[in-house]
Amino acid sequence: MSSASPSYGSRPWTFYVLALLFTLFVIFLYGPMLAVLVLSFQGPSASLVFPLRDPSLMWFDELFNPRRTGDVVGAFNRSLPLALVVMLLTVLISVTAGFAFRRRFKGATLIFYTAIASLIVPGLVLSIGTIVTFRYLGLSASWNTSGLGAHLSWALPFGLLIMFAVLGRLNPSYEEAAYDLGASKWQTVKEVVVPIVFPGMIAVALFGFTLSYDEFPRSWLTVGSKNTLPLEIWTMTTNVTSPALYALGTVTTIISFLVIAIALSSILFIQRKRSRGK
Amino acid sequence: MNTMTAKATPDTAAATRESGEIRLVGVTKKFGNAYAVESIDLTIPHGSYCCLLGPSGCGKTTILRMIAGHETPSSGEIYIGDEMVVGKPPVERGTAMMFQSYALFPHLSILDNVAFYLKMRNVGKDERRRKALEMLERVQLDHLKDRMPAQLSGGQQQRVALARSLITNPKVLLLDEPLSALDEFLRLKMRGELKSLQDELGITFVHVTHTQPEAIALADMVVVMDTGRIDQADSANTIFNRPKTPYVARFMGGQNVLTGTVESNAGGAVALKSAAGSTFEIPSSDSAAAVGSKLSIAVRRDQVSIRRGDESSSVGANSIAGVVEATEYQGSYVKVTLQAEGDEFVANVSDRAFFAEPVEAGDAVVATWNPEDVHVLSKVDTGGAAGSYLDGGH
Repeated sequence: MSSASPSYGSRPWTFYVLALLFTLFVIFLYGPMLAVLVLSFQGPSASLVFPLRDPSLMWFDELFNPRRTGDVVGAFNRSLPLALVVMLLTVLISVTAGFAFRRRFKGATLIFYTAIASLIVPGLVLSIGTIVTFRYLGLSASWNTSGLGAHLSWALPFGLLIMFAVLGRLNPSYEEAAYDLGASKWQTVKEVVVPIVFPGMIAVALFGFTLSYDEFPRSWLTVGSKNTLPLEIWTMTTNVTSPALYALGTVTTIISFLVIAIALSSILFIQRKRSRGK
Repeated sequence: MNTMTAKATPDTAAATRESGEIRLVGVTKKFGNAYAVESIDLTIPHGSYCCLLGPSGCGKTTILRMIAGHETPSSGEIYIGDEMVVGKPPVERGTAMMFQSYALFPHLSILDNVAFYLKMRNVGKDERRRKALEMLERVQLDHLKDRMPAQLSGGQQQRVALARSLITNPKVLLLDEPLSALDEFLRLKMRGELKSLQDELGITFVHVTHTQPEAIALADMVVVMDTGRIDQADSANTIFNRPKTPYVARFMGGQNVLTGTVESNAGGAVALKSAAGSTFEIPSSDSAAAVGSKLSIAVRRDQVSIRRGDESSSVGANSIAGVVEATEYQGSYVKVTLQAEGDEFVANVSDRAFFAEPVEAGDAVVATWNPEDVHVLSKVDTGGAAGSYLDGGH
């Protein structure tokens, strides 16, 4: 084309390539989840594969009245409190450690890398190591002792990294202003710092909860004789051959999404309150 | 040691407990091995508006923060009124600080921001909100009391920060570059408001700035700082007209600094000869500089006139030949920058005089001044490398 026509910024070909890539990514991310969701409503003809016949809720019922499935309710009753305790401890330790690291102290870098290193250690190895150590010490493994420790080794580094990012952005003059206005150290934390970094604390809580709730490798040998939910699901895949498996997948996914929704909406609520006034 | 006391205050003993007089005695602050502030002696009289002026990194903010109690001196003493305050928290000092970024608490409404101090003192909710509202009325922001800080403009945020500081009923208000975050229009407006607020309250204001016009417009007392030391602490008028050192002369921007060798000194009437051979006369000074020694003098830019000439023509005394480097129209005057005797020399020529005989870049000119307008600097100029970098505002 020789005559110059104005160009209004049409999209380059790379846009379409990347859009395709992104579409594939979304399909891989949500496709399996959707398949499980749909198949959990399978009818009594009980096929584990598509198509969906005579949709019903019978497998959800099966889930809570276990005849053939494993101890799903029991596993949930361990996984939920475990995740909540991990969440609380992660928030508590990450926030306090985050404050400690705001000032330089001797060995800060060493301690930081030591804390972060457990992100790199393979989970199964850590699981084996934990159980070996517990046996050596004559302790019995249980979800609320060795299991809790193993989960913390996974959730804490994430919490720490998030808190470092949050506190790194916190302008020290807020604390100085509070001090200037007569606030004690404790009042400064309670009245100024915690309210300002609260959205970050919710993010840490969210990570703490989901990392524990979903954790498989670090749970494998450390939770003792009674399974947590991911372990229970794994066991079921080997011996349960009914869509109850899918129903379980749907329920746990919904719980995960609920936790995320609660966390995000509380962050949004706080931010909106700040930017719009009351 | 290059330390100076701003005003001789023999009556410091008379300063009462309520006095907002600030006295720094031999104050030094080291960060690691670097001196941020080095053995400073300074007295800021009660009820004065003091500006700490200097380029970034000169230690002015460190001094402010040490007075506020947000930084502890490595050595030395700080008195407010009669009290030694080193080691005391800000509220016990009777100081209040306004931060450069204002540091309004983002999670609290304007009203609760202002009421924060009262809340920390366990004043009941109704009473503290009533008092905070009164304070907001003073800064004319009571109608915005329920807004959050993020919803306010820069100028409004500054007023809230002021109200939040003043509710502590301070003897000393410390302002860290309070106008730097505002646009030009608001800056001038708030500058006026700060000055009248200080007049009204009668308490001591210490204001850190790197802007010369701001310091000159506001301060009863200007403290010019250079790398951790005080170069001169005087009234704005004295600082501007009679700078003590080449650094102050250059930093304040209104002066040309010239250096020469003393040819004769007859009871203060000094004649200098510059390296390039020009002669400068000072009819009367208290200088005791010996013949043959070096001496630096300053001439105000607006007391210099220029005429056309050529470099080869010999010039008389109290003038310097050079080539115009640039002309800059400033409205009421024209800033003519010359390259003369290997240095920059600036003449601020009134627009009438300039346009009667305009010059442009490349023209050879002679700059002349009256010997009465010259004053002697206490230090010999050791090179004006910082001159153009610091030359702001004028």
